[in-house]
Amino acid sequence: MRQLRALALRLRGLFRSRRGDADFAAELESHVAMHTDDGIRAGLTPQEARRQALIRLGGAEQTRQVHRERRTLPWLEDLLNDLRYGLRMMVRNPSFTAVAVLTLAIGIGATTTAFTWINGVLLQPLGGVADPSRLVVLESVTPNGEWVPNSYPDFIDFRDRLKLLDGIAVTRPSALSVGREDHADRVWGELVSGNFFDVLGVKPEVGRLFLPAEFADAPGKFPIVVISDRYWRSHFAADPSIVGKTIPINQRELTVVGVAAPSFHGSLPVTAFDLWIPYMEQPTLNSVQEWMLRNRHNRNMLGIARMKQGVTIDQARGELKALADRMAIANADVSEGMSATLLPLWKSPHGPQGLLVGPLRILMGVCILVLLIVCANVANLLLARATVREKEFTARLALGAGRARLARQVLTESLLLTGSGAALGLIVTPWMSHALKYLMPPGPMQQLVAMDTRPNLSVLGFAAGICIFAALAAGLVPALQVGRLNLSARLNAGGRSGTAGRGRNRLRSVLVGSEVALALVTLVGAGLFARGFQTTMRIDPGFDPNHVLLSQFYLNTNGYNLAQRKEFCRRLAERMQSAPGVTDVAYSDGVPLGFEPSWWEELKIEGYAPRPNENMSVFRNVISPGYLPLMHIPIVEGRNFTEQDNEDEKSPAVMIVNQAFVRRFLAGRDPIGTRIHGWGSWFRVVGVAKDSKYHYLGESTPAYFYVPFRQIFREDMNLAFYVRTKGEPDSVLSTLRAQVRGLDPNVTVFDAAPLKEFIGASLYPQKVAASLMTVLGSIALLLAAVGLYSVMAYSVAQRTQEIGVRMALGAQPGHVLRMVIGQGLALTAGGLIASAVLAIGLARAVASVSFTNSAMGSSAKLLGAGANNPLIYLAAAGFLCAIATLACWLPARRAASIDPMQALRME
Amino acid sequence: MGEKTDVWQGTLALMVLRTLETLGPLHGYGLARRIEQTSGDLLQLNYGTLYPALLKLEQEGFIRSRWGLSENNRRAKFYELTKAGHRQLQKAAAEWEQTTEILARFLTPAHEA
Repeated sequence: MRQLRALALRLRGLFRSRRGDADFAAELESHVAMHTDDGIRAGLTPQEARRQALIRLGGAEQTRQVHRERRTLPWLEDLLNDLRYGLRMMVRNPSFTAVAVLTLAIGIGATTTAFTWINGVLLQPLGGVADPSRLVVLESVTPNGEWVPNSYPDFIDFRDRLKLLDGIAVTRPSALSVGREDHADRVWGELVSGNFFDVLGVKPEVGRLFLPAEFADAPGKFPIVVISDRYWRSHFAADPSIVGKTIPINQRELTVVGVAAPSFHGSLPVTAFDLWIPYMEQPTLNSVQEWMLRNRHNRNMLGIARMKQGVTIDQARGELKALADRMAIANADVSEGMSATLLPLWKSPHGPQGLLVGPLRILMGVCILVLLIVCANVANLLLARATVREKEFTARLALGAGRARLARQVLTESLLLTGSGAALGLIVTPWMSHALKYLMPPGPMQQLVAMDTRPNLSVLGFAAGICIFAALAAGLVPALQVGRLNLSARLNAGGRSGTAGRGRNRLRSVLVGSEVALALVTLVGAGLFARGFQTTMRIDPGFDPNHVLLSQFYLNTNGYNLAQRKEFCRRLAERMQSAPGVTDVAYSDGVPLGFEPSWWEELKIEGYAPRPNENMSVFRNVISPGYLPLMHIPIVEGRNFTEQDNEDEKSPAVMIVNQAFVRRFLAGRDPIGTRIHGWGSWFRVVGVAKDSKYHYLGESTPAYFYVPFRQIFREDMNLAFYVRTKGEPDSVLSTLRAQVRGLDPNVTVFDAAPLKEFIGASLYPQKVAASLMTVLGSIALLLAAVGLYSVMAYSVAQRTQEIGVRMALGAQPGHVLRMVIGQGLALTAGGLIASAVLAIGLARAVASVSFTNSAMGSSAKLLGAGANNPLIYLAAAGFLCAIATLACWLPARRAASIDPMQALRME
Repeated sequence: MGEKTDVWQGTLALMVLRTLETLGPLHGYGLARRIEQTSGDLLQLNYGTLYPALLKLEQEGFIRSRWGLSENNRRAKFYELTKAGHRQLQKAAAEWEQTTEILARFLTPAHEA
């Protein structure tokens, strides 16, 4: 307490130092005067008395100094002086300051942005929930160990029987239409179990969330909705009286019971939902039939659970697994071999983070590389400046300044630079953070991504840490140099410049060498990613995505029932078929290589005995007869679907399988006519389609099958509509809109895009990684070039005299040119050799990073093939050498054009 | 050197507090002379060292100062004990006594045993 009070007073003293000085001077003066008085009284002469008084005082100046140090905080005072001095230096060398601060801002800004994303996606994925450390994701596990969502009946069993969990909630992201008739908005929301908010620990901002009475599993009983703060502000002007009113959602009136807390944005990281509706409203909202809610096979709910206080994830996982295993036996008809597990939030394969985790890790690594290059650059600049300031430093040393004190000043100055850089970087960080949505493929995912870009405490802390790290990294070497200044040698050198020691030159060379090395690593990375991306792009998808317009319909949001939806598709296809410029029309549930998860069905195949625990879930698509011809996927055997393969009781259920399916299940048999069981009935194989790509371009073709839209399409399936055109696909968009309006003015065409663009989604992580690496690689290259240039320019300036002598002795400009460039290239080569090993190691590590778009938890490699492509290493090294030559060229030309006479006369 | 100063500062602070308690408000010069006298002139104080000690005590709130007139009508800064200073004096004096007692046991020859 006392110490604190003293500290506060001393801090205050810092700002009143002049007043304190005057006060103490007066006190000392009165002390001396009184002492002198006593001396005179004792018989001394006034002069002698005063002299004695001063002697006894022990030196007025020393006393003043000690008193002053006690009155204020000397280290803080020094720091303020250093800062003031550093600021003055910064202002006096604007170009130096600009280069240093800007490069630092780039380095720190990029790193902080990457951290903001990682923080949002991985470290603090959910906002507005209580105690997120106890929240985990609940996933069902297939016999093959793949993670899949859960069914509602399984959820009920988990919810009612698990003792180590405080609660489990399930949720299903869903597009909803809000508003009446033709001016409806499409809004993304979550259909959730009643206890959703309770499990997550969300607080309402206005009104209430769901009540325990509304947690029940009774379909259609709770026509209520909770809206997000964002939606409340943008659509209801933050009017609290909205609570209790109804809003039309999917043409049904739902009562708004409350607004969720502003920081809450749903149960998926970096994704912002606006509506939360009890899952039990599915039948009324989406005309999903009630039996589907009771079907254990209907695994489409994402699970999120809260562990009890003090329970570890392993304990909870063990309890869950035991229960799931018992359930797999009890419900063997649908769940044989199934299990369940708990995952930390960030490991969930659903939502954007499955896509982002891999690229973000790499991004962070590259950002740190760039930051290191920036630090090396700034260290170089500081070293160069330290040479210029050597005279100042030697003078101060000679006057008695401590070396530590000088080193501290150099560090303070570098901290000032990095601090300014960090401040500038932090200003642009929130703005750059928004770019996260460009890392997501176009379409619903991109609209959903929302990042809380306000800098929060952990981001600020990270930026401060990076700033101090950069200050140390850039300032330590120059500071140590000051500590090693040789006083007598410097003073004896008589103020001639250009005699900086070899040691320092070597130091700067090492710094530049490491810059080159780091730049090579980033360049190789950029090359590998770009190359991997290109290779994947060149893979033939097995269908023709050119000249196809894709649009998606959310007919359920228009209150259509199943028959109406099928009828809508049939009539729209009919109308479009006859439109000018249209060659084919088709519709299906899933889009190949799209970003939506692909669905599957568990099959029994006549004449095929599954191995024990073999996963018989096979990916599928539900298609109209026009689909395969439109996609240019040939039928290699049998026939295509026709309009006769319909829901009529007389027409048998039929199926088309792909070649991989035949190889896996029907090897050596005639596939046509084989009976296959799925969706509770038997299908007959009528055709075999050629293999194509379904989820990732890089995948090895899985078994796959198609069933007719009219026989299998169900309420909870998606609806994608394709139109193949003669010309540009966009040209038929207006026709499509007009035809849709002609059928039903309330239906809106959403997300219409050329199929070619849409399937780019499956390549998105690779594309993102490639473009990020290219951008950062260019920055790294530029920085390394600047570093190399500054070192060479400086060394030429230093050696002006020497070069003059050489030329006076007959060296040709060409020789000088070669000498200087040779030196620069030697530096570069040193860096290259050092980094080759590093680059190969890093490429190996990166090659193992993968991403997932939740197709049964399968994932694809981010890098594609060819992590060891030697050409890329050679090309990167060659490119770097070219840039290095260029960076040396300018100073070399200056050196070669030196007039020997002038150079010799210098100084 | 540093250690010695610490000990010295501690004891000097105690002397200052004690002197102020006995004599009431005093200026720096008076304090210095008084401390010398009390020590029987065994202590040859560098008067300059007194002032940082006074400042420290003032910052810690044990004494306060104000400008006033000396007995010879000179302007001088007077120091006096605060309540916290009184308490601190009791505490420090007790501690000091204990310390000297302990030290005495070490330093006196063990002939009594």
